[in-house]
Amino acid sequence: MESAENGIDLSPTLIVEDHPAMRQRLLQLVVGLTGSDAQITTANSIASAKALLDEDASGVALIDIGLPDGNGIELIAWLHIHRPQVTSVVISAWGHEDTVLAALRAGAIGYLLKERDDVELSLALQSIRRGGAPIDPNIARGILALLQLSAEPVTTGARVAEVAERSEHALSERESEILRLVARGYSNREIAELITLSRFTIEGYTKSIYRKLAVRSRTAAVFEAKALGLLY
Amino acid sequence: MNYSRLAWLCLAWLLAACTISTLQAQSVASTVVTLDRAEAVQAGWDSSMPPATGWVPIKLMDYWNTRWPHHDGVVWYRVHWNQASTDAPIGLLLDYVCMADAVYVNGSVVYRDPQLVEPLSRSWVAPQFFLIDKPLLHIGDNTLLVRVSGLAAYQPGLGKVQIGSNSAVQALYRSGMRWRYDVRLFNFAISAVLGVLFGMLWLLRRRDTVYGWYALSTLFGAGYAWNYVTASTWPFASTDAWQAFVVALLVTSTCSFTVFLLRFCERRWPRTEAAMGLASLAAFAFALLDPHRMGPWRNVWVLPTILFYYATIATFLWHAARSRRIEVRVLGISMLLPILLSFHDLALYLELIHGNNYIGALTSPLTLVGMAFAVAWRFSAAMRRAEGFNVELRHKVDIATTQLGDTLAREHALALDNTRIGERLNLVRDLHDGFGGSLLGAIAALENPQRPPEPAHVVSTLKELRDDLRLVIDTTTHEQDSDLAGLLAPLRHRWSQRLDVAGIDSRWRLDGLDGLHLGPARSLDLLRLLQEALTNVLKHSHASRVDVAVGRADTQLSIEVRDDGDGFEPGVAHDGRPSGAGLASLRARATRLGSVLVLDALPGRGVTLRLDVLLQASSR
Repeated sequence: MESAENGIDLSPTLIVEDHPAMRQRLLQLVVGLTGSDAQITTANSIASAKALLDEDASGVALIDIGLPDGNGIELIAWLHIHRPQVTSVVISAWGHEDTVLAALRAGAIGYLLKERDDVELSLALQSIRRGGAPIDPNIARGILALLQLSAEPVTTGARVAEVAERSEHALSERESEILRLVARGYSNREIAELITLSRFTIEGYTKSIYRKLAVRSRTAAVFEAKALGLLY
Repeated sequence: MNYSRLAWLCLAWLLAACTISTLQAQSVASTVVTLDRAEAVQAGWDSSMPPATGWVPIKLMDYWNTRWPHHDGVVWYRVHWNQASTDAPIGLLLDYVCMADAVYVNGSVVYRDPQLVEPLSRSWVAPQFFLIDKPLLHIGDNTLLVRVSGLAAYQPGLGKVQIGSNSAVQALYRSGMRWRYDVRLFNFAISAVLGVLFGMLWLLRRRDTVYGWYALSTLFGAGYAWNYVTASTWPFASTDAWQAFVVALLVTSTCSFTVFLLRFCERRWPRTEAAMGLASLAAFAFALLDPHRMGPWRNVWVLPTILFYYATIATFLWHAARSRRIEVRVLGISMLLPILLSFHDLALYLELIHGNNYIGALTSPLTLVGMAFAVAWRFSAAMRRAEGFNVELRHKVDIATTQLGDTLAREHALALDNTRIGERLNLVRDLHDGFGGSLLGAIAALENPQRPPEPAHVVSTLKELRDDLRLVIDTTTHEQDSDLAGLLAPLRHRWSQRLDVAGIDSRWRLDGLDGLHLGPARSLDLLRLLQEALTNVLKHSHASRVDVAVGRADTQLSIEVRDDGDGFEPGVAHDGRPSGAGLASLRARATRLGSVLVLDALPGRGVTLRLDVLLQASSR
């Protein structure tokens, strides 16, 4: 995986956050990374965010969970389908991993935790800009649990194409290994030392894991819809 | 059970029995001649030849005690008959001989009982049949001599003599055997079997005394019935002794039968029962100690006993007539018919009517079966009650189980509530221990008018609060599903990054923590201790490297945090170094973990914190 190819420009950036102080904090963080001439817009609701993003919008959207007119995860899911050029990053307050996991499955490729220091958030944003994604032990553990659960069933329908499609989006050996190490508390640097890769490559793997998670959840949704007779 | 049908069956059986015997008697009458004219003469016990003189004409059947009331010994009976032809052998039937006999035809002996002197053989129980052929049989006059040994007290004598064709007389003999002997043998056998059967039942169910009394009465009855079957006085040495014993059996059987009826009607008459017990004991005592008076004077016992028996049955019939219970009425009916017939037997015994056919034996199996039915009915009713009780019991058990289930569910819900309250209290305590203290400290610092705090210091304090809250949240969320290794992972990850940003190389070594659970409070204390130690390293040490080691060896958990920073002089207040408050907090946490913090610090050589925590046996 070449991380450079997947690099994401932080300009333009849309910050969807209804809390003024937090909005200001995020704005400063992004400006600190991109410089003052960056194209940064803010929105304080889902509706206004959707209005700001036209069909060929691209760049990064930092999206808060609790918005006045709905849940940020809905916006992430909507963007994932209707604005595929936009990279979604979820902003979580106290980072309950279920919320973050739901956002990742809806299509977010990363998350920012409000509780973290500016420097840590800045590191996370830099990682995203490089084409990577931040990850925590609790999130890694949540993903592992999720994969173990969904790895068990679904042999009944037995559609070869689907099975192939699903296996295409199964985690690779390397990705699983990285998840397990993260879950045990190893830092990216330690993991990089252990499996002799650069720490930035590790971040790339993380993002790849998130992508697969989103695709898997969509495939699962389609499969379930077919099973229920909603799609033909 | 339709008991009226049973009654009809009994009646039909009796009628059939009487009819058959009458028919058989009639059908053979034409070819059989009954000889009822004879002569008799008294003789001594040792008489071997009939006396020449003293013969008197008599009519058969003959009880000699009516003529010679005190003659115990031998009486010779002589019967003549005229035989027209000797072409075919003839059958000779002696209907009744009491007690022992020897039979001579034309001077030759054709039969002799084993015991012609005491203890006498008991030939009275069965008819005797002989087939007589020439040369013994003569054309013209033939003489039959029957030497009878008997005792005046026991109806001694000779019954009718019948001669005729072999087949006809033998048919009579068979019929006599069947109705006089076989029926009584059957009666004895059925009594013994039922007695043993219900005796077993009682042995296994002592409380149900009705079975015991039934068994006792039936077994004594069987003993009495043996009198009508046995050919010897064994085990007794004299006829008197045997007769006395039989009377005692009759008394005891009647008494136990009465008690059985009382129990059957669920009555208890202690004084009457005691009197009957004494009477039974007395009967046996007399029978065994003074048989020679008891035997001849047996009627002194027999008549009251029979009267008592009738009184008992009459009382029971009166009770049965009023009872609505099926088994009582069946028992009543099964006794009603025999009692009527027993009047005939009694009359026969008292020689009010002549004959030798006690027909009571025909009905006593019926009585026995009726009694068996009644007792078995009682038994099955008890079984049904037991089964009904089982159903009821199961029902009650079901109800109790349901109630118990409800109670347990309520208690479980209560326990759950208590657990939830306990968990909430734990959370409160966790917040109070770290977060609350720091918050109060921050407020106090901000309110201090003398020294307004720098904003950076306030932010630092708030961040400490935030980190502590993070620990509380992580521990509370994951303590149940995570071991110590899992709980340490977020802390390690976060602090690796922070120290990394600060240019401090952090190295972690975690050994043997998989599967280790310290419990929420101790886990949180350990995490807080590590976090405070790392905060100190980050803020004050100027280190370039920190080593964190948490390892478990057997029942001991060793924690070490070592940096290569500035170090400090222990015990000396250091400017900017939290040698006061920071260390005190670390020591307090170590104490709460049941350990002592070992501090190894020298200026310029870094700081090493170390503590060993003893794991309880309960730590998984």
